[in-house]
Amino acid sequence: MKLVIGGYAQGKLNYVLQKYQLSKYRVYDGTIPAEYKQCEETIIVNHFHQWVRDSLLKKGCPEQEVLTLLDHYDRCVIISSEIGNGIVPIDPFEREYRECVGKILITIAERADEVERVICGIGQRIK
Amino acid sequence: MVILVIGGSGSGKSAYAEKVALRLAKDRNIKKYYLATMQIFDNETQKKADRHRVLRQGKGFITIEQPIDIGKASEKMEAEDAVALLECITNLTANEMFSKETAISETKVIAKITKDVEQLIKKLTHLVIVSGNIFEDGAIYDPATLGYIRAMGIINQTLAAMADEVVEVVVGIPIVLKRRKQTCMS
Repeated sequence: MKLVIGGYAQGKLNYVLQKYQLSKYRVYDGTIPAEYKQCEETIIVNHFHQWVRDSLLKKGCPEQEVLTLLDHYDRCVIISSEIGNGIVPIDPFEREYRECVGKILITIAERADEVERVICGIGQRIK
Repeated sequence: MVILVIGGSGSGKSAYAEKVALRLAKDRNIKKYYLATMQIFDNETQKKADRHRVLRQGKGFITIEQPIDIGKASEKMEAEDAVALLECITNLTANEMFSKETAISETKVIAKITKDVEQLIKKLTHLVIVSGNIFEDGAIYDPATLGYIRAMGIINQTLAAMADEVVEVVVGIPIVLKRRKQTCMS
């Protein structure tokens, strides 16, 4: 499993598609697979942070859900924006969202065999 | 040795900084101080402080609550040969700037925090400083908040210049931005 992070609009998805030249893949945009089944294609979750946000809004448990996903799919690329590098928001939900994305990304990074940070479309391997 | 650890919200910078402080203390078996700067005023800040306290439990840190005037913490530390973990500059700067009825100017806050941290460095064998990367959301804030961001920017640059090592933590992964030769950290 691989994790790709970076700022907004840094070309993260393009970077992943160009780098890995996958023949079989499916991109989930702001969402994750609803059910787990055997498949040969690589699962790419783009805008992962957006899915975390939606899950929190629905009072879900994104950390648990994503761990279940990773248990089922080894061939998986998670792409997320970095959202924690700003002023702490006044709104309590916005604070919870930022902290939650941060914590989940730390957990994913621990499990990932590769972590890359993309800036200007250029990947920098940090793990 | 002075080590500056920066990162965003939920980046894992606290956990990393603690690990560094523990390792530095273990090398020489010296006292460990935790300099806490968070002002507790509601349930959420209380919960956050409690969570951090639980993380530190059993690790032998002596906690000194010092939301402002961080230099004064040096008078509260008995041991000369010690390591301190200062958490964090983000809170400290906000407290120094906004605790009085009218905001304190950027230049005054920058000078005060620089002087106070220098006082700590003089007293201690090792100081690990945690600070926030609060600079990358591109949002336009009110003048007071923008002043705070500017002050934080200068303070981080000043501390980084003073530090032997500067590390950015991203998704729990430390990235070394500066390392003086002959330091032993990894």
